[in-house]
Amino acid sequence: MLVESLTRLLKDHVDQKLLVAAKQQGWAPELWRKLDEAEFPRVSLPEEAGGAGGTLSDLAAVLRVAGRFAAPVPLAETAMLAGWMLAASGLPVPRGPLAAGPAHGETVTARREGSHWILSGTLTRVPWAQTASRLVLLAHTTTEAIVANVDPRHCRIARGRNLAGEPRDAVRLEDVPAEQAAIAGPGVTQETFRLRGALARSLLMAGALERALELSVEYAQQRVQFGRKIGQFQAIQHEIARLGGEVAAAVAAALSAAGAMERGGDVTLAVASAKIRTAEAARDGALIAHQVHGAIGVTDEHALHHSTLRLWAWREEYGNEAAWSTALGQAIQEGGAEPFWPAVTAH
Amino acid sequence: MFFEGVDFSALELPPAAQALREEVRTFLRSELATGAFTPHLGHTEFDAAFTLKVAERGWIGMTWPKRYGGAERSYLERFVVTEELLAAAAPCAAHWFGDRQTGPSLLRYGSEELKQRFLPAIARGECYFALGMSEPGSGSDLASVRTRAERVAGGWRVTGQKVWTSWAHRAHAFFVLCRTAPDTGNRHEGLSQLIVDLAAPGVTVRPIRFMNGHHHFNEVFLDNVFVSDEMVVGEISQGWKQVTSELALERSGPERYMTTFPLLVELIRRMGAAPDARARELVGKLSARLWSLRRMSLAIALTLDPGRGAQQGAARAGPDLATEAALVKDMGTFFERDIIEAARLLAAVEPTPDATDTFERYLAETIVCSPVATIRGGTTEVLRTLIARRLLGALK
Ligand SMILES: Cc1cc2nc3c(=O)[nH]c(=O)nc-3n(C[C@H](O)[C@H](O)[C@H](O)COP(=O)(O)OP(=O)(O)OC[C@H]3O[C@@H](n4cnc5c(N)ncnc54)[C@H](O)[C@@H]3O)c2cc1C
Repeated sequence: MLVESLTRLLKDHVDQKLLVAAKQQGWAPELWRKLDEAEFPRVSLPEEAGGAGGTLSDLAAVLRVAGRFAAPVPLAETAMLAGWMLAASGLPVPRGPLAAGPAHGETVTARREGSHWILSGTLTRVPWAQTASRLVLLAHTTTEAIVANVDPRHCRIARGRNLAGEPRDAVRLEDVPAEQAAIAGPGVTQETFRLRGALARSLLMAGALERALELSVEYAQQRVQFGRKIGQFQAIQHEIARLGGEVAAAVAAALSAAGAMERGGDVTLAVASAKIRTAEAARDGALIAHQVHGAIGVTDEHALHHSTLRLWAWREEYGNEAAWSTALGQAIQEGGAEPFWPAVTAH
Repeated sequence: MFFEGVDFSALELPPAAQALREEVRTFLRSELATGAFTPHLGHTEFDAAFTLKVAERGWIGMTWPKRYGGAERSYLERFVVTEELLAAAAPCAAHWFGDRQTGPSLLRYGSEELKQRFLPAIARGECYFALGMSEPGSGSDLASVRTRAERVAGGWRVTGQKVWTSWAHRAHAFFVLCRTAPDTGNRHEGLSQLIVDLAAPGVTVRPIRFMNGHHHFNEVFLDNVFVSDEMVVGEISQGWKQVTSELALERSGPERYMTTFPLLVELIRRMGAAPDARARELVGKLSARLWSLRRMSLAIALTLDPGRGAQQGAARAGPDLATEAALVKDMGTFFERDIIEAARLLAAVEPTPDATDTFERYLAETIVCSPVATIRGGTTEVLRTLIARRLLGALK
């Protein structure tokens, strides 16, 4: 249901024109409005926080579809990160696009001034900050972790962007008063933030890979050279088969990790695996898709680059496959040889 | 595009399967402790005594109906048993084929008489099967087999040559794909599957040595071998359909990505608690790939198990699953290779087949066998063509 209605909505609204405009403007506010009306940014928020009470797996399904259509809106940040931090800390979740940080482990300090919390810090490459109505931050006092929500107009924002033109902004907070703040709820830590960020990117990448495969299949079915459809050449068939494998593995890994996170417990293996596997799939997958397309695929007129530029950007965000592999490898080595298989087969 | 209808986020092993896993682990630990077997990588070892013990525990033919010696357990439970046996590099060659291919094939296509005759014996670990598909002139192009069967009173007379027949020198019987009618244009017609007793008059089994001298596979000559009508599997002339569904079963399981897994465990042991950055990265990467492959393989096992599966017993690897199975096999075989590569680059030891160190021995054993996974059970090239056909459709 969720997936079908979102697919329909995005099919109707996300086209080349919208994506090109978003590249200039940073995002697609009209599309956001439609998604917001349909409550998609709040699917997985508890009902008390104004959400639809869905599960993390519901949100995962939504992000996969968003990735497939390269939807230029901060759905992942709003739902997976900012909304989660607020709701988990007992704060209301404001409507509107939200950004979340810190995404790179920077420190935001919080101090009390009367009844207010005052925040300071410098953040690099915060996704969607310039388009967000609120910035949700995990900050620290000398003793406590605080979740706070600030108005980006009180921050200094230097616009930046990723390969696909999505906003990735430097944000400077100099004694910015929080609109709302609370002690960080259970489980709201830098580490979980990073895990959820990585999971969100894995899901988006799984979707983007699906689109790259769809486009490649269509193209191979149409393009004629040497009097034959290029899909009739075995060399092309085999590349497409390999792409298909990468896509299937990426989807399996990303959705499985979402399920693992929903069930709780130690999710490092699941989420690290998802980010590593989707990033690897992005590497081979994006280039296979381009190879199949020939020159047309590298132009800004063709739709393929909306997916591949995002894949190349997203694989680096919230830790690339080298960073996650190293961390996962470290954890496995510390655990030792014997516990490894039991960990793999825990679910 | 793939895994239509599979909900990966909800996919989880039921508690019963995890309890079974503990049983299997306890069994394997005690077998190892008593030295009942020594784990080897490469070709799975053939060990009749071990197979009997596995059978005693009800782990052969475990999804089959009880009336045929099965345990009516789920494919997920079978999945758990299989992956545990593989993780321990247990010697399963005696029953692998019967459990994975011949049994399900008999359940699906075999006559009541054949089921009664063979399934309980396979499940008891007393009857071993081999597979006679390949021939000198027919590898990937299996429909071109030339072994033929001629109609005689009460049965068939079979003449021809099979090759690469794994464990034919130890098995009791094998499935033979042969021509029962001449090729008249549609090459997929006129093929049948017969069960041939490997001790029957006219059957000659000759070893073909593997490059390290091991005797794993054989050539089997069939000279006017009599096969009674009862030994025909399914319908005459329907052999092609039967064989292709068997192949799908062969491709989907953990044995397609786990044959070098014990080397990864030994690599982790060898790298220790303070590994360098390269070791950490490679171990992490390989683990991520293992984890992802396993999720896909699990999804396939689950789809084989539509609740009623246990009662009906028949494996229904429908055509919709066959492509996913091919995908898992294709990626799984490359994953297996990459474990070997990581192990040799990180450890930098000279592979020694008779090393006393387990890691070094495993490395040698896996390197020697490294070419076979991408050849047997459908070559990489053939699988990719099949996968592409599903994606692209028939292009004209
Ligand atoms: C260890 C081992 C055990 C085996 N056990 C058994 C057994 O028990 N029973 C049994 O019946 N068989 C067995 N086999 C045989 C196995 O099934 C065949 O090796 C396999 O089907 C490939 O056939 P082939 O070796 O003749 O290679 P070929 O089919 O001759 O292929 C040679 C090369 O050509 C490529 N090629 C062929 N056709 C195409 C095409 N259409 N497009 C692109 N490339 C193509 C292949 O991919 C391969 O790279 C075993 C093989 C091995 C290695």
